[in-house]
Amino acid sequence: MTPESPFYADSLKCLQESTLFGELDRETLVDILSRCRRETWKQRRLLPLEETWQRFHILLSGRVRLSRSNPHSGRMITLFLHGPGDGFCLFSLLDGQPHDLMLETLDDVALLSIPMEETREWIAAHPAFNRALLPYIGQQMCVLANLAEDLALHDTETRLARLILRHMDDAESAHAEPRLINDLSNESLAEMIGSVRVVVNRQLQHWKQEGIVDAHRGYLAVEKLNALAQRAEQQLASPLAKTSMLQ
Amino acid sequence: MVDQNSCVALYLSQTEAEAAVRMLQQAEFDIKKISLIGKGDDHEEHPIGFYSTGKRVKLWAKKGAFWGGVWGLLFGAGLFWIPGVGPVLMAGPLVAVLVATLESAVVVGGLSALGAALYSIGIPKESIIRYETALNIEQYLVVVHGSLQEVERAYEVLSASESTDVAIHLS
Repeated sequence: MTPESPFYADSLKCLQESTLFGELDRETLVDILSRCRRETWKQRRLLPLEETWQRFHILLSGRVRLSRSNPHSGRMITLFLHGPGDGFCLFSLLDGQPHDLMLETLDDVALLSIPMEETREWIAAHPAFNRALLPYIGQQMCVLANLAEDLALHDTETRLARLILRHMDDAESAHAEPRLINDLSNESLAEMIGSVRVVVNRQLQHWKQEGIVDAHRGYLAVEKLNALAQRAEQQLASPLAKTSMLQ
Repeated sequence: MVDQNSCVALYLSQTEAEAAVRMLQQAEFDIKKISLIGKGDDHEEHPIGFYSTGKRVKLWAKKGAFWGGVWGLLFGAGLFWIPGVGPVLMAGPLVAVLVATLESAVVVGGLSALGAALYSIGIPKESIIRYETALNIEQYLVVVHGSLQEVERAYEVLSASESTDVAIHLS
């Protein structure tokens, strides 16, 4: 992609606003753009990670989820939900191996991709990117740790409350939509907390009656953030657990 | 039926676009899977028109020689007046897609007939709007259709050309 490209300015802006690339200087970002391949994937595209693991991907717009499923029971668990500015195929970047993950686009997505080998060379050549990458990997590990904790220690109500709170940006707002998950189906929400659609549906209806959330088909907003936070904390035994919830 | 995966490259000039098509031809791409789109002149200095000499269609216009050369390479040709875009010259399998879109009166919210044709081959709306804007300022689009492997190979070839942007669109 050259600076004359009609997609250049938006791509650069997306990188500048991202956690992973936001601290890098313009020259480095321009170098990334010149090396990356621009791609678009249509909504609801399913890709086994075996097809994509040889490239590192940077999401420019839309959402991608990475999940695992049990082919016998059909049950699915969402491990990561990525939005603009996120990088994915991180595990393969670290260990050079394919992983048993299913990748699904929730929207039409635009992304940049670069071969893994070139990404590794690039990391070596740009210590600033390496410094940004390590905390980012740490964040992704926290996502997995939180999921494991939720599944092992908490009931569905707490898990759902914690999921929504993790996607809230503005803690002060009385009526706020959670990031990335505000228009997901109840089934998709259930797949993020290891539950099933009917249970999530029942819980949201219950909270709706209490005025904690505003939820209807494909829409979710939080009306009473403190009340939701209480539901998330009610089963947390230790201060350490409370801290991890906010990460 | 045109493949739903495509590789699209943008060029600032007709010379660069033509060179890209020739690069694909030299790389032994199936010529039936390559399309070229450019804008016709809104205000030609000379009259614009088509005429047929036997089986070949010729364009009588300022860019007639260029399009004549391209039409000699690619399969299918057409000039369309598209509301919102103006005169569009096109060569390759996309012509059939556009005609099918027009005949079936497909409407995709906010897109022109050309946009609807591009949408039908798997290019998302956001990209189509940028491509149409580029066409409006006299840039050229080279589109290669095919399997994932074919469009990836096309990407490698077109990345080495004078394009300002090359992208792969998967559906």
